[in-house]
Amino acid sequence: MKRHTLQLSSFLFLLTITFASSLVVSLHAGLPEDFASANANLASGHADKALSTYKTLLTYPEFKTSGSAEIWYNRGLAEMQTSDAVAASLSFRRALLLDPSLAPARIELSKTLGLLGIPVPTGWRERTMQSIHPETMIVTGAVIGWIGALLLVVLLFQSSRRKGLIILSLLLILFGHGASVMGTLVDPRRTARNSAVITAKTAPTLRATPADSATESGTVEPGTLISILSRNGAWWYVSTGSGPGALQGWIPSNAATPLLSSSKGSS
Amino acid sequence: MKPFRNISRTAVTLLLLTEALVSARLNAADVSVSSGLSRAQISQGEMAELQIKVSGAQQADVPQQIQADGLQIRLTGQSTQVQMVNFKVSSSVVYSYIVMPLRTGSFIIPGASITADGRQFRTPELSFKVDDAKAQPVDPYAGSPQSAQGIQPPGIPMPGFQQQRARPLQQRPDEGRFVFGEINCPKKTLFAGEMTPVEIRYYFDARYPVQVRGRLDFGCEGILVERFPDPKQTREDRDGITYNVLTFHSLLSAVKPGSLDVAPAKLDCEIEMPGALPPGFDDPVFRQLMGGQAGVSQQKQVTVKTSVLHLEVLPLPKEGRPESFAGAVGQFDIDSIVSNPHPAAGDPANLVVKIGGRGNFKGMGAPVLTHAEGWRSYPPSDKFDSSDELSYTGVKSFDFTLIAQQPQTESPGCEFSYFDPTTAKYVTLTSKPLPLVASPGGASPAVVGDTGAAALSPTLVPSPGQNPNKNVPPKEGQPLSGINLRSWTTPMQRSEFLIATLAMLIATAALAGILAYWKIQSQGGTLASRRRKHIAELRSLLTGGTIDAGSFYEAALDYAELVLPASDKRDALISGLTERRDLLKYGSGGSLPLPTIEHRKLLESLDLTTTKAL
Repeated sequence: MKRHTLQLSSFLFLLTITFASSLVVSLHAGLPEDFASANANLASGHADKALSTYKTLLTYPEFKTSGSAEIWYNRGLAEMQTSDAVAASLSFRRALLLDPSLAPARIELSKTLGLLGIPVPTGWRERTMQSIHPETMIVTGAVIGWIGALLLVVLLFQSSRRKGLIILSLLLILFGHGASVMGTLVDPRRTARNSAVITAKTAPTLRATPADSATESGTVEPGTLISILSRNGAWWYVSTGSGPGALQGWIPSNAATPLLSSSKGSS
Repeated sequence: MKPFRNISRTAVTLLLLTEALVSARLNAADVSVSSGLSRAQISQGEMAELQIKVSGAQQADVPQQIQADGLQIRLTGQSTQVQMVNFKVSSSVVYSYIVMPLRTGSFIIPGASITADGRQFRTPELSFKVDDAKAQPVDPYAGSPQSAQGIQPPGIPMPGFQQQRARPLQQRPDEGRFVFGEINCPKKTLFAGEMTPVEIRYYFDARYPVQVRGRLDFGCEGILVERFPDPKQTREDRDGITYNVLTFHSLLSAVKPGSLDVAPAKLDCEIEMPGALPPGFDDPVFRQLMGGQAGVSQQKQVTVKTSVLHLEVLPLPKEGRPESFAGAVGQFDIDSIVSNPHPAAGDPANLVVKIGGRGNFKGMGAPVLTHAEGWRSYPPSDKFDSSDELSYTGVKSFDFTLIAQQPQTESPGCEFSYFDPTTAKYVTLTSKPLPLVASPGGASPAVVGDTGAAALSPTLVPSPGQNPNKNVPPKEGQPLSGINLRSWTTPMQRSEFLIATLAMLIATAALAGILAYWKIQSQGGTLASRRRKHIAELRSLLTGGTIDAGSFYEAALDYAELVLPASDKRDALISGLTERRDLLKYGSGGSLPLPTIEHRKLLESLDLTTTKAL
């Protein structure tokens, strides 16, 4: 029986390790020389050159399905130095989308939004993300939850059932999977697919219908984060938030840039 | 007929409601915004009132403050009016701001962005002048043409209102009135900005039913009145008449110095009063028939008014006015805390300054930070927790966000000044810097160590395995080095997570299967295998011939029941075996060995049948 227990423990250990490793997609891609030279250019005040290199870097194949918060942050700095606060706000938002706990990006985004006269989001989601990365919460929670599930199965088939251990395993399941769900709820990437930032130089007009001659219902300041509620050709039906002061209306799609774009590097 | 009548009534009601709703909806679309100043010119030490009226909406998103150089303009309250005449609904909201000059000169109050009914509006710019001299009498609406267009909310007199003010009307019961109003303000002399309680009482003769129509209308130019909570209803005898009394409590404050006659507080109501009988019915017999009552009643629309309230408003003294004074009048105390005394490097610290006491919390500006060298601060957010219905007492919290520009071991201090109307003096409260540990984004542990703060700040030392970008961020504005690839989607949206979850489900099921198999094996196998084993044991016992006759028959019976298929032959065999077993068991010879012949015959009979069965 001892031999069986040892085999079972090894099996569970391997299983959870396999599960955890399958979820980890972050990998260090090395430090491309272009990135280092762009950083050097930015540090020495050649923001234009640095910005051009960052844009080129983001077209590399490894950035098609993944992103680097560091590159987007540095690109935002370069855009700030070239006085393009609107583009910088998008870059800092993308950096925070990839790594919500990146403090420098949060500070720079606050400064940029302050320049643009846009309120900085300060909800419970933001506070949670500052203390723990949602990805860590989701993966760790799932691993703990599955350890609890496996432990519960083992305990249920034992001849002498220990109530304390069964309760512990149930708590592990609840806590682990609960943390996983919580992490998903606070993860900004969950809803980023339908989010965009106004990148037009002048505030676009919200219209009642998707037509240039339609009734105006207000304007949206450049740099504002919007939710895309519907798409109709070259027009998007957007909302500026969910509160009582939120505006809704149609804007031309070229007035905003999606937070997640199929061509993230080029935008 | 009755059900038909009910249906008709319901249909008519629904029709009317629908029409009312449609009408309300149509009217709600006509939204307009206008603004006006109570006075275009004031003297230093006085305050003016700015009102923004949003017509056609019941709610609007307005700024809490309007930024104007040299002026402090803060939102103090709002009032909503909804009218429905012939199912045509019209509504308007008036937002009141107090305008306090910080210096003399001419000012332009910029337009404010208003969001109402999903649309954005901007009020026009207003010119405003503050003299150094004493306040001069000016036309209240000169220089503010917008007010003439439409803003006539409660608190600003309508054209022709002066005559009413000049001729105060107080209805007394001994004057033969059924209703009358009284106003009571314990403080007739007060400072500009000082809040004082006001009580308005309306007396209604208890003999006549009364219905109150509309809201209490009270206020005039130069005073701010807090929203009236629901009135209290009591009963009171006066001069031999019993009255139902409605009592309203609120607070008022004056914004400009000088003598002030506050217009009577008005309340519209409808009183059911006895009326004259028609000709021919005015005789004692008819009155007898009506139970002694007059018989005919009239609905009379009455506007009940109080007397004019005369106030003497003193200006706030210029002498001894501290620089940190920002309009607070009352009695206050100060307290401060740092909500996160150990922020991570580059992260902001939050200094919460709590101003408690009683006074004009709505017109109060933020405290001033002291010892703020090496800190970057942002305008604080504020929150007011009232401890009474009228928001006269409570605690107002100002939350300052502070970012360290150099290693810090103390928060900034705070200074808050207010004017105490009881002593007629300014008071300045200070809070000392509080201990904390904060460092700028670019600070390295070595740098912090030089200041001696490293020992207090474990968060500044990066732990192994953590992202170095978070623990030791670069100097502000410097690029980050190192690239970490991260997915644009959450784990739950990625196929690898779904596959891994599915694999874990299968693994859990497999584990459950393995454990179940082990458990069955440990208990001797399945039911069929246990049956086979038992039959083999019985066969061995029967053919061994070492047991006594009773046990043999017992085993033979078990064997026959387990092995033989259901048939008449089996039943006959079992019946014979049972009979013989019982004979041996309860008779004699059960413990003796079975005779060989009987043993062989029995085995043969069982063998014959068992061969087929097996």
